[in-house]
Amino acid sequence: MTLKTELSLIDAIKASRRQFLIGTGAALAGTALSRPAIAAGGEVTIISDLGNADQRAVLERLAGEFTKKTGTKVTINNMDHEAHKTAIRSYLVVGAPDICFWFSGNRMKAFVDRGLFDDISDLFQKEGYSEKLGVTKGAVTVGGKQYGLPLGGILWGLFYRKDVFDDKGWTAPKTWDDFMKLGAAAKSAGMIPVSMGTKETWPTGGWFDHMNLRINGLEKHMALMEGKISYTDPMLKPVFDKWEELIKADFFSPNGPSFGWEQAGAALAQKKAAMMDLGSFIKYAFPAADQAQLAFAPFPEIVPGVERYEDFSVNSVHIPAKAKNKQGARDFFAYMYQPENLGAFLEAEGTIPPRNDCPPSKDPMVNAAVESLKTVKGTSQYYDRDTDPDMAQDGMKGFQEFMLKPDRRDQILARLEKTRARIFK
Amino acid sequence: MSELWKRHRNWLAPLLFIAPGALLFGTIIIASSFESVWISFFDWDGVGPKTWAGLANYRELFADPQFYVSLKNNVIWLVMFMAAPPLGLALALLVNQQVAGMRFLKSLFFIPLVLATVTVGVVFGWVYDPNYGLLALIFNLFGATAPALLADEHAVTFAVVVAALWPQIAFCMVLFLAGLNNLSPDIIGAGRVDGARGWNMLWHVVLPQLRQVGFIALAVTVVGALRSFDMIAVMTSGGPFGSSEVLAYQMYEQSIFSYRFGYGAAIATVLFAIMIVFITWYLRMMVRLEKETR
Repeated sequence: MTLKTELSLIDAIKASRRQFLIGTGAALAGTALSRPAIAAGGEVTIISDLGNADQRAVLERLAGEFTKKTGTKVTINNMDHEAHKTAIRSYLVVGAPDICFWFSGNRMKAFVDRGLFDDISDLFQKEGYSEKLGVTKGAVTVGGKQYGLPLGGILWGLFYRKDVFDDKGWTAPKTWDDFMKLGAAAKSAGMIPVSMGTKETWPTGGWFDHMNLRINGLEKHMALMEGKISYTDPMLKPVFDKWEELIKADFFSPNGPSFGWEQAGAALAQKKAAMMDLGSFIKYAFPAADQAQLAFAPFPEIVPGVERYEDFSVNSVHIPAKAKNKQGARDFFAYMYQPENLGAFLEAEGTIPPRNDCPPSKDPMVNAAVESLKTVKGTSQYYDRDTDPDMAQDGMKGFQEFMLKPDRRDQILARLEKTRARIFK
Repeated sequence: MSELWKRHRNWLAPLLFIAPGALLFGTIIIASSFESVWISFFDWDGVGPKTWAGLANYRELFADPQFYVSLKNNVIWLVMFMAAPPLGLALALLVNQQVAGMRFLKSLFFIPLVLATVTVGVVFGWVYDPNYGLLALIFNLFGATAPALLADEHAVTFAVVVAALWPQIAFCMVLFLAGLNNLSPDIIGAGRVDGARGWNMLWHVVLPQLRQVGFIALAVTVVGALRSFDMIAVMTSGGPFGSSEVLAYQMYEQSIFSYRFGYGAAIATVLFAIMIVFITWYLRMMVRLEKETR
């Protein structure tokens, strides 16, 4: 083994371990310090949480191209998506990378408030992102400053199979009446009207969002998310009344807590259910041959006159405040965020580009969502992204209980109100 | 120098040998335990500054209905797990016979021990699936509909414990098998001369010799029941709506998902207080057993 490969091996070990062996890395740090600087252009380390292999491949390709262009070495450490959610809390404080993946909106703000993300308004100015980004700019802005770059967005709504709907002569429901009629028709055809797996509780949070947005509108919904409105407020009564109506009419999958969204999606794919409330990633529950049958419809109107607001969740990338190579990270952002590069990265995942100048997608689902977004008045992100994580945990647990035991509504709401009062003092 | 060593080696040598272990145990177990207790008096999200909360976490915990659900489930786990040592003993006696094919049978019973607990949880999750699971198939055979065990707040804990019992029984079986191999042939022979056979042989000659092993099996089972966590995380994530949570899982959920490290530490402290009762009992028994065998 030549000296050079040996050195780069040490380098690789050091880079991949640094973030994870926090506190026990003293010995490793020793080798790191005595290491001669090979990469003249510095080094940028990235922690990503990409579960999608195609997307990881695009990121690696971009990193390789960036290194060739600038001489800056890029190291990508990919983590499991769920494990990353807890790991980020420690690595932002000790052993921060130069770039990390995260979620925009309230989840980003939690770290901005603690001074853990770097202000990148300068990059926005220099690259002129403000003109290129639409509504998503707001998702990375706190107090007029930008703290991250928005990546792909997921538009939530109802999904169904075109062939099934054509076959039965159904149309996507526009109003609450349509929805109730469609549900009745699905039941008489021996199908579950709405497939939902609540083993992980989050799908219940999305359902609550849709109903509340359709009944109370965005402003009141966000006030509830921010803890300014009580969970026992009379404005929520019609939401839970209507929801109870659906539960009592057996609209949802029986035994929901027995399975997750993947199995619920499979039921839709196997024509056992008529609709499902999810994001475009529902396609991963479908066999490749059936994906073309998937169609999107916005959640139906409930109260006439309430504008159309939707859950639109946007992932993002950030520079930790404790990053070592902040300039290198900005350079990489600028490269990765070029329309064609960003487009390729998001195409692999099937999410909606935040830039209006990305090349048009080849994915019909993405294009449908982009079209649908044009008529949306305003967006929230998702229950567990908009409210405090502690509140979200209790809230979604409560919704799951409500879906099984609607009679316990008052108890559940009283409990949620207690949690709200504790968190939002 | 060598004079010094000679004079002091009686206590220096053991000290040197114990030091590494004691150091590790001290920092990883003892110091962390004390830190946990200390954190339980604070309001802390794991990142930001800690604020002193005094006994507020404990006050909230004792008023939290979820705490009592978790506590009740811990008791269910403990009581149901007590079935593991006797069942393990029965299996050990069964597979200890000298019959053709017994080795194969033994290895079948041994399988759950080789599997990771997570695997066992996933497999049982499938067994319980009300639509496609093995249980559903059996019920369908008789024209009945399978209950959705993991979606029922009253049945869920029992369903999870049954899954966890499978490897636990196998573990007890292995312990007893080892014990059966160490039986003193002299005593057995003496028993035989005195005309003991069958039930009498088992009760008066074999079982007394298995006392130590039985004690270890019981202790391991108690600890296993109290620290139950992985099975719940895999099979139900504590659901539906927290009805299958135990204290260990509630602690994890509060600290990791709700970012309430102070509250989580308070739960950990209560769990620790419960554990210490069993640990004290275990240590006393150990000391007594060692004195007996000396």
